[in-house]
Amino acid sequence: MAWITKNSAGMKVERRSEPYLTPAMRDELTRTVLPRYEQKQGALLPALHMIQHEYAWIPSQAMQEIAEFLGLKAADVLDAASFYEEYWLTPRGEHIISVCRSIACEFCDHKAVTEACKAKLGIEVGETTDDGTFTLIEIECLGSCGTAPAALVNEKLVENATAETISRAIDEARATPHHHNGRH
Amino acid sequence: MPFTPKMTRPILTQRIPTPPYGNPKDRRVISYAAYTASGGYAGLRKAIAMSPDDVVNEVKNSQLRGRGGAGFPCGLKWTFLPKPDANGEGGPRYLAINADESEPGTFKDRLLMDFDPHLVLEGIAICCYACRIQTAYFYIRGEYHHQARVMENAIREAYEHGIFGGTGLFSGASTKNRDTPWKVECFLHRGAGAYICGEETGLLESLEGKRGWPRNKPPFPAIKGLFGKPTIINNVETLAHVPSIIENGAAWFGTMGCESSIKGAPPSYGTKLMGVSGHVERPGVFECDLGIPLRTLVEQYCGGMRKGKKYKGAIPGGVSMGILGPDQFDAELDFDIGRKYNVLGLGTAGPTIFDEDTDMVAVARNIARFFKHESCGQCTPCREGSGWLYQLLSRIEEGNAKSRDLDLALEIATSMGTMSGTTICGLADGNNWAVRTIMNKFRDEFEARVKPTFIPVGITLGGAGLGGTGLQTGVMV
Repeated sequence: MAWITKNSAGMKVERRSEPYLTPAMRDELTRTVLPRYEQKQGALLPALHMIQHEYAWIPSQAMQEIAEFLGLKAADVLDAASFYEEYWLTPRGEHIISVCRSIACEFCDHKAVTEACKAKLGIEVGETTDDGTFTLIEIECLGSCGTAPAALVNEKLVENATAETISRAIDEARATPHHHNGRH
Repeated sequence: MPFTPKMTRPILTQRIPTPPYGNPKDRRVISYAAYTASGGYAGLRKAIAMSPDDVVNEVKNSQLRGRGGAGFPCGLKWTFLPKPDANGEGGPRYLAINADESEPGTFKDRLLMDFDPHLVLEGIAICCYACRIQTAYFYIRGEYHHQARVMENAIREAYEHGIFGGTGLFSGASTKNRDTPWKVECFLHRGAGAYICGEETGLLESLEGKRGWPRNKPPFPAIKGLFGKPTIINNVETLAHVPSIIENGAAWFGTMGCESSIKGAPPSYGTKLMGVSGHVERPGVFECDLGIPLRTLVEQYCGGMRKGKKYKGAIPGGVSMGILGPDQFDAELDFDIGRKYNVLGLGTAGPTIFDEDTDMVAVARNIARFFKHESCGQCTPCREGSGWLYQLLSRIEEGNAKSRDLDLALEIATSMGTMSGTTICGLADGNNWAVRTIMNKFRDEFEARVKPTFIPVGITLGGAGLGGTGLQTGVMV
């Protein structure tokens, strides 16, 4: 999570003319999110969630737009965004499979689940399929220790996961494309 | 001595069918209508007929201890807020609800968020009334997508029925000491995958839109918390206990749980959600009296060890607490456990049980990897120590370590964790306790995995005949 070194100094910001933070998002933030916090920066995590939900990752240009919108320095936004594991600052697959590797899951055979994903998708942990459809990662505790092993397929939790159930969940995800804006 | 339960009915799980009182298959999300139809929000109605101070005193007298891990008395925490002025005003102050349940082995708050969100919201509303708080933030971990939706929906229902927003219940029954209606806002705030945000000041930083680096204390959050204002931080389960305490009284709460067996130590009253995972037949969350022996929990609630295997060890509640050894299966799960069984504490009471086939070196390595991954990087002993510890334990597991690495691992664990003042928060302590207790209680398994260390000793062998051959002498230990 937090302790990763990043190439922030030499960062190149890819630009597009259309803003990532759309007028609808700005409106939503202004109406419902900003009034909740005493300081504007409180809306930073919700804003980042919003961008990631829409585009599946958080482009640098979007971070700059958020900074401008909330009256922050771009560095403040990068500082927070890079700290949290859930935010993707590089593009990832359309669907993300996160297999839990923490204590209960490891000792209730999470390996079988990871191996099934690897075999089905033809990728290693940390990789994305060539067609950009699936990214496979292993993460720490999903809070599903009583029904270990567990995995998240996008936002859906697969409990008591087996090679069969995770394989079915992958098929279901494939059948319901996300169509993130700006990708695919 | 066999354990006799003191609780006669489920309290936190009264609407969530849970063995032995109900069948988990019958669980449904409890809507506002279903909640009120089954006596919900009676605690809140009773509370707003009392003075805020009386509510605080009731909770204080119940000796309810925080369910988030540290076991700090909840009512006492509430009294740390600055006193409101003559008008009952204390300026802006906040409640942050800690639903960042992310320590491996801990999944008990999820049950409440999954099925009975209004029980938590009622606790929040009572706390806000008692402590004169206008705004509550429900900080939920990013991975709890479903739970966030359930809570969001319940908060919306609560607004519609005037629990929050100051249009219904609170405005009608304007509080005893004031004429203006009381208005409480409650917002859901999603985290984004950082264990450290479960540390209370890390949580506040994250709410402020910053990286979740814990703050130096003092000042404590009750004085200077969110946005620099007085803030109370309570765990989900702690707040879920409050409605029934107000409804039934502090004395009633003390009829459940247990007294402390240590002279002068505070009691462990009430029931507790115990999230059992690992090698048992029926893992899951159960509600029991505090003080239930681990063996009773496993054998009577969880159907015994999986496949009839033998018990080997257990983590009492979240991996940071350390491990109970093979001879500690009868440990009572209460707030004294730390002082009696050489673990850090009860934690969140989420026992992870290991059977006889478990490789304890792998357990230690798994836990060390977790802490390395989740160290926030702010304090050097933790940031560096957690990485080295993980490397050493991986090396031991792979069979590439030498015997001296065992002492080195223990030394790293001890020097990063037990020396107070070297780190800002308790993450390094948790890492230390976990690794150190596993290594000490299962020392033989670690020793069996390492190669002997060659220690050169300066003895000349065979005199001149062997001199100059480069033969080194020493002992293997």
